[in-house]
Amino acid sequence: MTELYPSIFQCAIVATALKVLLFPAYKSTDFEVHRNWLALTHSLPVEKWYYENTSEWTLDYPPFFAYFEWLMSQAAAFFEPALLNVQSLGYASWQTIYFQRTTVIITELVLAYALHRYVKDSKQKATAHAAALSVLLSPGLLIIDHIHFQYNGFMYGILVLSLVLARNNSTLLLSGILFAVLLCFKHIYLYLAPAYFVYLLRAYCLGDQRSFPYFRVRFFNCVKLGVGIVSVFAAAFGPFALWGQLEQVFRRLFPFSRGLCHAYWAPNVWALYSFSDRVLIYAAPYLGLKVDPEAVNSVTRGLVGDTSFAVLPEVVPLTCFLLTLGFQIPFLVRLLLNPRWETFIGAITLCGYASFLFGWHVHEKAILLVIIPFSLIALRDRRYFSAFKPLAVSGHVSLFPLLFTAAEFPVKTVYTILWLVAFLLAFDRLAPASPHPRVFLFDRFSFFYIALSIPLIAYCSLVHGIVFGDRYEFLPLMFTSSYSAVGVVGSWLGFSFVYMDL
Amino acid sequence: MASPAHKPRRRRKIEEGSLAHITHGTVDIQHSDVRKPAFPLVAFLWPAKGTVSQWVTIPLVLMVVGLFRWTTGLWGYSGFQSPPMHGDFEAQRHWMEITKHLPVSQWYFYDLDWWGLDYPPLTAYHSWLLGTIGSAINPQWFALYQSRAIDDPSLKIYMRATVFFSEYLIYVPAIIVCLRRYSRAEKVNVWEASIALVAVLMQPANMLIDHGHFQYNTVMLGFAVASISSMLAGRPLWSCVFFVGALGFKQMALFYAPAVFAYLLGICIFPKINVVRFLAIALVTLASFVVLYLPFIAGVVYDTYDGVSQKSFPTPPLLTYLRVSLDENAWYYPVVLQVAQSVHRIFPFSRGLFEDKVANIWCSIHTFHKLHQYPSTLLQRAALGATSLAIAPPCLIIFLKPRKELVPLALATTSWAFFLCSYQVHEKNVLLPLLPMTLLLSGKGGLLPSIRAWVGLANMIGVWTMFPLLKRDELRVPYFTLSLLWAYLLGLPPVSFSAYQEGTSGGLNLVTKILHLNIYLAMVGWHVVEAFIATPEGKPDLWVVANAVIGCGGFGLCYLWCLWTLLWKSELFGKSPVARKNKTQ
Repeated sequence: MTELYPSIFQCAIVATALKVLLFPAYKSTDFEVHRNWLALTHSLPVEKWYYENTSEWTLDYPPFFAYFEWLMSQAAAFFEPALLNVQSLGYASWQTIYFQRTTVIITELVLAYALHRYVKDSKQKATAHAAALSVLLSPGLLIIDHIHFQYNGFMYGILVLSLVLARNNSTLLLSGILFAVLLCFKHIYLYLAPAYFVYLLRAYCLGDQRSFPYFRVRFFNCVKLGVGIVSVFAAAFGPFALWGQLEQVFRRLFPFSRGLCHAYWAPNVWALYSFSDRVLIYAAPYLGLKVDPEAVNSVTRGLVGDTSFAVLPEVVPLTCFLLTLGFQIPFLVRLLLNPRWETFIGAITLCGYASFLFGWHVHEKAILLVIIPFSLIALRDRRYFSAFKPLAVSGHVSLFPLLFTAAEFPVKTVYTILWLVAFLLAFDRLAPASPHPRVFLFDRFSFFYIALSIPLIAYCSLVHGIVFGDRYEFLPLMFTSSYSAVGVVGSWLGFSFVYMDL
Repeated sequence: MASPAHKPRRRRKIEEGSLAHITHGTVDIQHSDVRKPAFPLVAFLWPAKGTVSQWVTIPLVLMVVGLFRWTTGLWGYSGFQSPPMHGDFEAQRHWMEITKHLPVSQWYFYDLDWWGLDYPPLTAYHSWLLGTIGSAINPQWFALYQSRAIDDPSLKIYMRATVFFSEYLIYVPAIIVCLRRYSRAEKVNVWEASIALVAVLMQPANMLIDHGHFQYNTVMLGFAVASISSMLAGRPLWSCVFFVGALGFKQMALFYAPAVFAYLLGICIFPKINVVRFLAIALVTLASFVVLYLPFIAGVVYDTYDGVSQKSFPTPPLLTYLRVSLDENAWYYPVVLQVAQSVHRIFPFSRGLFEDKVANIWCSIHTFHKLHQYPSTLLQRAALGATSLAIAPPCLIIFLKPRKELVPLALATTSWAFFLCSYQVHEKNVLLPLLPMTLLLSGKGGLLPSIRAWVGLANMIGVWTMFPLLKRDELRVPYFTLSLLWAYLLGLPPVSFSAYQEGTSGGLNLVTKILHLNIYLAMVGWHVVEAFIATPEGKPDLWVVANAVIGCGGFGLCYLWCLWTLLWKSELFGKSPVARKNKTQ
């Protein structure tokens, strides 16, 4: 079975051609965000990076990302010096677009390399290869990075590389350090940190022992890991600590003033919660519940703004935090008892799930935090695959509202459908039968769920516009995120079950 | 808990070796133990080998090629914000505007100076339909006179979508059916035919002209392919209908007409004379033309009845030339007048020998020996003579040996002859010879280096000669992306030399290799020169002319190769030595 075609390299070339053709496509404000960061890292001394606020898009990523922008700005100086002016807000010449879009494509090579390593280290080459291609060609990355504009391909490349390195005991230290580096690039990966912590603790810092307490501390490993991680963080935050700017940096990194649900609801538990609240407004008089009249119009008010609830109780950040942690702990305990690589990836996935489903102000883009690690083990056997299917559909459909322009509509839908058909069929052929018997009728749920996506997309993109015009524009968004939330929650439940039943 | 574990579905057993074959050009022979796809496109269809149904493969292929088409459309189009005349985009939009708003009797009379309608009636109907739908969405887009040179971004999306849907309704189904029939006739398996399908649908020239520059060539080409397909299926009458459709959409389909005529005549005479078939073909063709013009004539009659006067129109030069004098009050006057006017618009005999810089022999000769010094009638006669001479051999072969496997080759040869020698050729017309030639990929041995290299060369030169045009439309990035992508997929220079490696089965001989590689070298070199070196003083068009001259040489070679292959495959002079050798083996 050496016939692994098309290869990762071949797919990367064809995908690059499509990405180049997407240069003139819609780009969100994130494009301007990154242009501004290029400009400010290039033209200001490091001490001022986290204080600069000419643009409303201030630097709110950790220092490594700022260094990365600085590095790119050196190349930009040759290409289009005009984009490096902090004052020229919204500057988007063709040269700027070429430059910034190209950096996204080039830095994504890290992901291609990581996936190549993943396939090389796997025993089941055929399934690993299929999974690797599915990540490389993910519609999520295409929509978010190459149209909407971000550097997720690069970030997830580092994550996947770190996950792959965790497979061998000899590279476990490197894996941990690389994850620390990743955290200093983008702090959203903190959501996955508990799984890393437990896994590195169990597999690297503690050794097995036959008698009580069944483990022994590997002191030298602890020192190596500790020194490694501390030096990474020192390299990132050290200079700012020296200048006494840490407080300012962290204020930028963690803006707690934002609301529970993001502008478009991410398809998580809170989307279902909001949806129930909307329904209860109409049901409340019959049930004798109290309705808060001020909140009734809050979601309909517009795209951006805090959501407040009319019938159900308000949610505070602490609730989210406790719920997230609470739903991570059981899976982490399991990882502690069974520190194998597959369990580790499962735990990473479930940490992603918990934080996506219960987190405060979760962005729909964070679904990649679940999909990409899950892809690496989705083909272990058919039970994994069954749990993966609804996630693959709902996760990608939930990204659709990110692109709302007519020209990009065919791109996002056709590409996503193409990916779903090609990979779900390929996975279906490749996924081996499970050694454990199937327990519940997850396949039926998947089937109906996937089938339901077709009328949903049709309604949200076409029918709604014709029937209502510009009115009730929250309605398609609410349907999309509620639909997606059902899929994500369903797949979460399914996967939790499979994971605990290992 | 008792339910049984998942049982994998039983799969059809297919002899793996029967699909990917060294002798079919899909597998490399360098590694005898490991089977390696010969070029990347084979690798992409590798998972579809064997048990995957066509009902899965084809939709996936259509989605992929659709994405490349649509994303090409995100780029510029001809004449965007370039007054005074704008370009083909405005021409097509303007036709929608006039057919939507003006009475039918004014369609072919209205203002020639601002992109007057000069395409046959099917284009007019198509424009009317699209104009009507578009006006229902946004009347501003096609408001009479007010909308000239409008460049609303939402209009661009609408127009791009119309090209896309027209192509997917006509060209794409025609190609799928045609390739299926052709590959079956040539005993090529379904999997290899789907490789050829992707190659045909990803042709860079087609995508760049229709979805980038903006035209509806694929509608005409789709009808032409449907006509070929009907010939392959042994339905000559349907082929007449479709061919009239192609002609009725764009007169350039005339490039194919001699070969189509020769083939249809041939099947009426060989192996034995079949008068009934001949009469049926003649009758159906005539009827198709009548049906084609019927809505137009009905519109004119309705206008006359409605009181729109036809008398103020100038007499078309065609009628003057034919010395036909008509009674202006006769009942048939409006109809004759209108049809004559449409023919006059469609065939403008008054234009020059060539427009712009086209890679044909006239422009090449003109570079070294100025042709303006001769009277235009002489030049026209020379063009007619040269074209007749060049189309005679292929037409004769297909007439004497009217076998359906030869149809694509005969059409390719004839249209190359037209492109090289005829009168009033556009650089975009190279799409016509490229189409039947690219169809050869799905024929017997079509993926072997011998055919793949030639088809590839023709396509690469074809798109390269359109670079000056595409550059004007700001389509450089899509040009490089799509043409290099195609070269990569098919393993062609400048990306790969897989078709030129030693020891490949069905390889090319040394002379051909040297010739091909030099042409590729010239093309790459030309791009470098064009990008970095300014033209010398007083010769601003030097690079464009160089492009046309090199292109003409390459196209000439393609013509000769097609002719030679046609001759060889037709076995007109008995079995060729190669074929005989194969038989004795």
